[in-house]
Amino acid sequence: MSTLNYSRRGFLRASGVAGGGLVVGFSLSGCGGDTALPLKDLPDSFAPNAFIQITPDNVVRFYCPRDEMGQGVTTGLTTLVAEDLDVDPSAFVVELAGAHPDYGNPDFGGMQGTGGSTSIKAHYQQLRQAGADVRAVILDAAAKDLGVARSELSTANGHVVVGDSRHPYGNFVATAATLTVPQDTPLKAPADFQYIGTDFPRLDGMSKSTGTAVYGIDVDVAGMHHAVVVRAPVAGGRVKSFNADAALSMPGVTDVVEVVTGVAVVAEKYWQATQAAKQVDVDWELPALVDVSTARVKADYQAALQEEGEEAAAEGDVTTALAQSAHVLRNEFWAPYLAHAPMEPMNAVVWVRENEADVWSGTQGPGVAQGLVARYAGLDTENVRSHQTYLGGGFGRRATLHNVIEATQASVATNKPIHLLWSREDDIRNGVYRPASMMQIEAGVDDNGKLNVWAAKRVGGNITPETLKNALPGYLPGMPAGVVDWVVGFADSAFEGWVVDGTSVEGLYEDYDTPNVQVSHVTRDHGVPLTFWRSVGHSYTAFAKEVMMDQLAEVAGMDPVEFRLNNLDSKPRLKNVVRIAGEHMAAMQPAPGHALGFAAHSSFSTDVAEVAEVSVENGQIRVHRVLCVVDCGIAINPDVIKAQMEGSVIFGLTAALYGDLDLDQGAIRQSNFHDYPMVRMNEAPEVEVVIVASDAAPTGVGEPGLPPIAPAVANAVYRATSQRLTELPLRLA
Amino acid sequence: MIEFELNGRPVTTDEDPATPLLWAVRDTFKLKGSKYGCGAGLCGACTMHVDGQAVRTCVLPISAVAGKSVTTIEGLGTPDDLHPLQSAWVEYSVPQCGYCQSGQIMSAAALLATNAAPSEQDVDAAMAGNICRCGCYPRIKQAILAVADSNTVSDLATEVSS
Repeated sequence: MSTLNYSRRGFLRASGVAGGGLVVGFSLSGCGGDTALPLKDLPDSFAPNAFIQITPDNVVRFYCPRDEMGQGVTTGLTTLVAEDLDVDPSAFVVELAGAHPDYGNPDFGGMQGTGGSTSIKAHYQQLRQAGADVRAVILDAAAKDLGVARSELSTANGHVVVGDSRHPYGNFVATAATLTVPQDTPLKAPADFQYIGTDFPRLDGMSKSTGTAVYGIDVDVAGMHHAVVVRAPVAGGRVKSFNADAALSMPGVTDVVEVVTGVAVVAEKYWQATQAAKQVDVDWELPALVDVSTARVKADYQAALQEEGEEAAAEGDVTTALAQSAHVLRNEFWAPYLAHAPMEPMNAVVWVRENEADVWSGTQGPGVAQGLVARYAGLDTENVRSHQTYLGGGFGRRATLHNVIEATQASVATNKPIHLLWSREDDIRNGVYRPASMMQIEAGVDDNGKLNVWAAKRVGGNITPETLKNALPGYLPGMPAGVVDWVVGFADSAFEGWVVDGTSVEGLYEDYDTPNVQVSHVTRDHGVPLTFWRSVGHSYTAFAKEVMMDQLAEVAGMDPVEFRLNNLDSKPRLKNVVRIAGEHMAAMQPAPGHALGFAAHSSFSTDVAEVAEVSVENGQIRVHRVLCVVDCGIAINPDVIKAQMEGSVIFGLTAALYGDLDLDQGAIRQSNFHDYPMVRMNEAPEVEVVIVASDAAPTGVGEPGLPPIAPAVANAVYRATSQRLTELPLRLA
Repeated sequence: MIEFELNGRPVTTDEDPATPLLWAVRDTFKLKGSKYGCGAGLCGACTMHVDGQAVRTCVLPISAVAGKSVTTIEGLGTPDDLHPLQSAWVEYSVPQCGYCQSGQIMSAAALLATNAAPSEQDVDAAMAGNICRCGCYPRIKQAILAVADSNTVSDLATEVSS
């Protein structure tokens, strides 16, 4: 498991890092640090750091460094600043930060990216410190302006309090701007928290309930033209030639130009562009993927299970342990390719001029968007402004930004501001996907119900190399094109020998105490583009691991919860979550004909256990109720955590019950919500969430609620029908 | 030339009569609150009211609304003058990414306008055409039922327009 750090000079070095989420460490030595921060130009404002800007009218702005894709990060990170600045979170004006090194993600080596359930964990200390330091300098300024000893001052919700009088922070910003801002102000003790741990309505709720929240698709620039792309039927296809005569004669059409992924049709109106796109004839050069169907992928993976593979983890003596175990089981599991299908299809507005450019898009990396525009427009990074919008869903999809490249190329070719939008069909058929996986687990239990051995293998493609390949040009915009091409090409060949990508096997073996472990990986990649999909490797490994645990409990003659508790002595936090969920499960009274299933999983440093109440009627699996117990350390916004668990359960349920993409001659067969269905309200379960009280540092909640749901449902289906389902999506025989 | 009423104001457009209402509203009349999600009437993100009925406007040509009254999320309520459903959406922190919520609210408003006291099953049936990828369904249902239970319900029979 390793990551690559790319310095500006193009040197590569590997360093160890855990799998999960984006794993690119990026050091911009001496670059960008002196670039002006993308703050609002407000008269007489006080902006002592990249995050906080206070104006004399006492409006406090927070520049949110992470991207809001629904996970509640604008509410969560504002709460952190609010706590130690002592301003009510609801009083803030929250701005979505543009691209700048100061907005880097501390958990991604400073790269400006959002993912991996990192935001709260990574910024917990940093943003509280930023708030505390600004409060301290405001107090210093107030002491000076009011002629009162600092020790006689306190604060309350954006005001300095002295005796009976309250003075808005804004009164002191002029003086504060002349003082040195401290760097190490003591933070509040948890016992004094006012906002952390309390519930208040989400800060983005009003704009998102009135149609006023701005997403990338909503950006409207004067003179803007609309573009759609005619795409190859098979991923990686290249344009050999095209004929656009018919399209160019259609109403409103101004240009038809080649872009990296196909042919872009540009028109005055979006609808005109879509109609003309149907008239473009393209001759494609298609890659080897054109010969691949789902049946072939499965057969190849099945054959690959016989290979030894590369070692991902090893401990003890697996062969001897298997021979000595009282009970041994072996099983194979399958998980298909999946699309993210965020409700807002991919889009970007890009306007390239002679020496500068602007990009507006909702991305999981505004710095990547900036870099891609610079690279494809031939500009210096500092001359590209990246304007972040809300994301209409992310789930990992908005870290791969061909949409930005396409809009940049179209803007360069036409000299127009370009609004480029993918159709839903583009999204399902021409995107980047959760990899398909075949997994095999062979495990043994001793006479005391203790796991003795766990031998696991995963076959499939690796996510990290693919994502790096797509993102690299965005990180290296200042390099000559030839060098970037060389690095990307080099990366490509380097990754052919990639041993084990941490994200490929994460979650397959780590949770339970086992003295003898062997985990291996066989890479099989047919060329389907891959990327991070909500909870990444855990989205399939938890299914295999937790169905296996249910089967092992049965052969060991133990209750599934007792069996798990019996094998979790070294994981007290996960064990506690399992214990609490087990107690709730024991008290649940399923309706007649319903059955309960249990699963637990640790991912992104957060522990979750879920119980699903399921019935099977006319061969259809129906999930009525889900109990979710989560320990994510200190609960910053309990209601946001609850919402993320509810949402993760339902997102995961769509994958468990329906999610399936088929390859047919290299093309994705599905195209829209009729054949790639989503769980709808009438199919959604009630979700009850229990948050374990904790004083440990907070960990992420955007993804960890997802992995346990598919195995919890599968284990309940087994109790209801005696059918042990080992393939996703779950389909009864 | 097609004439219709948009949020209480008369509007005209001379664009292709086959243009879906969604794109005329977004690109020509510059109201961006209604969203594109599927282009096939499958997800409900584009839902508006046409003469009070919830309609999927990504597949409704503007020729079909000639002489009719169209209401979008912007006409239902504003941050300063919220429809009761919008207040409930904020209070219950319904939205996550928020992209589908204009369509969800328009479908819910059309339901309550004709059925002031819906059962859970009524809500499920009326809302089944609206997909939320973030999985906000439990809160959407909770917010709708809370509004139905409240005394604001008598205000809902009349279509709100600005």
